[in-house]
Amino acid sequence: MKRNNKSVMTIVGLAAVVGLLVFSSLSFGEEAYDEGTYGPKAPILWTKPVKGVAFMHKTHTMDAGLSCDNCHDKIFEMAAGTAEQKADFTMASLYKGKYCGTCHDGQMAFASNTRCATCHVGVKGYNKLTGAAPQGKPAGKH
Amino acid sequence: MKIDDFKKLENEGAENLPSEERRRFLRFGLAVTGVFVGGSVLSLTSARNAEGAMGPVPESGKFPYSPHYTMVIRQNRCIDCERCMEACVKTNNVPSYGYRTTILQQEREIGKGEKERVFMPVLCNHCNRPPCVRVCPTTATYKDKKTGIVMMDYKRCIGCKTCMAACPYNARYFKEENRAVDKCNFCFDTRISKGESKTACSAACPAGVRIFGDLTDYSSEAYKLIHKPEKVVWVLRPETGAMPNVFYMND
Repeated sequence: MKRNNKSVMTIVGLAAVVGLLVFSSLSFGEEAYDEGTYGPKAPILWTKPVKGVAFMHKTHTMDAGLSCDNCHDKIFEMAAGTAEQKADFTMASLYKGKYCGTCHDGQMAFASNTRCATCHVGVKGYNKLTGAAPQGKPAGKH
Repeated sequence: MKIDDFKKLENEGAENLPSEERRRFLRFGLAVTGVFVGGSVLSLTSARNAEGAMGPVPESGKFPYSPHYTMVIRQNRCIDCERCMEACVKTNNVPSYGYRTTILQQEREIGKGEKERVFMPVLCNHCNRPPCVRVCPTTATYKDKKTGIVMMDYKRCIGCKTCMAACPYNARYFKEENRAVDKCNFCFDTRISKGESKTACSAACPAGVRIFGDLTDYSSEAYKLIHKPEKVVWVLRPETGAMPNVFYMND
């Protein structure tokens, strides 16, 4: 975005005023997603120990209001895929308050042993998000 | 009488509420014969009394088979990891174009603009009144007299696929390798008859979704689950009157 252009600034300013006056509620929900502030837009996909879980940064930062240092680097390292390499990255650990279970304890957020399919998108969800064809069923074969 | 006139008719009451298919069939019969004979004569299945609030679980001691095999599906635990499907394919030699069990996905509204994902494992329901057995012209598919498992005799199957059309659960496919229809048999030939206590899918499930068991064994987990106090148990497509033996519940 070029913010040093004066005429553009004027138009943007006018639009903002009109927007605030008339469509205040509408324009409020149209905040652009900024990866620098809210983390990667693409979902983090875990395939271990089971396929597959999708973590959305947007849900946790932009929507729920968490900041980066709430989770990084104490609960999760910045590099995607680090947690799933560890042997204790299991549901049992989550119930003990590790990883996602730090917040998903039934107090701060819904408990890890409830609403399974909220995070678990499954093989179907994994294939949809990665664009992969279902296993053993190549596209276009009759 | 035109369809518009039908709409003006009074409600017939819920005691013998027919399914949509039955209504369509009756309408068809009326059009052909011009005479309204009545549901029990015209329809393929006799009128079924509403199960009411008691649910689809049969009364204890009235199970027609012994052991009476069943599968209880704790639906909300399913995460579509599909290990059950992998185990089934491996155990029962299922080709890539067919399935004996699969997982369906639904979305359910849980608030304005909010949705939740629901995974639903499906397989042969080993019905007490199986429509597939009823239509098979060669008795290639039959109810096992002892266990109640709906089985296939591949040698007898002529591949007419009538059973595939009759099955309310889409649980059958034509296996090219056998030149016969194939389906879930609760792993009877591959595991249960060899002394295993669980089917391949049930053993592979990491979330305790599929509980295989014997309803005549009151100490079995399957029996206990569907008789748990304050729990709702349902079956798929109860309106067909097939009396399925795969029960669904949440946790």
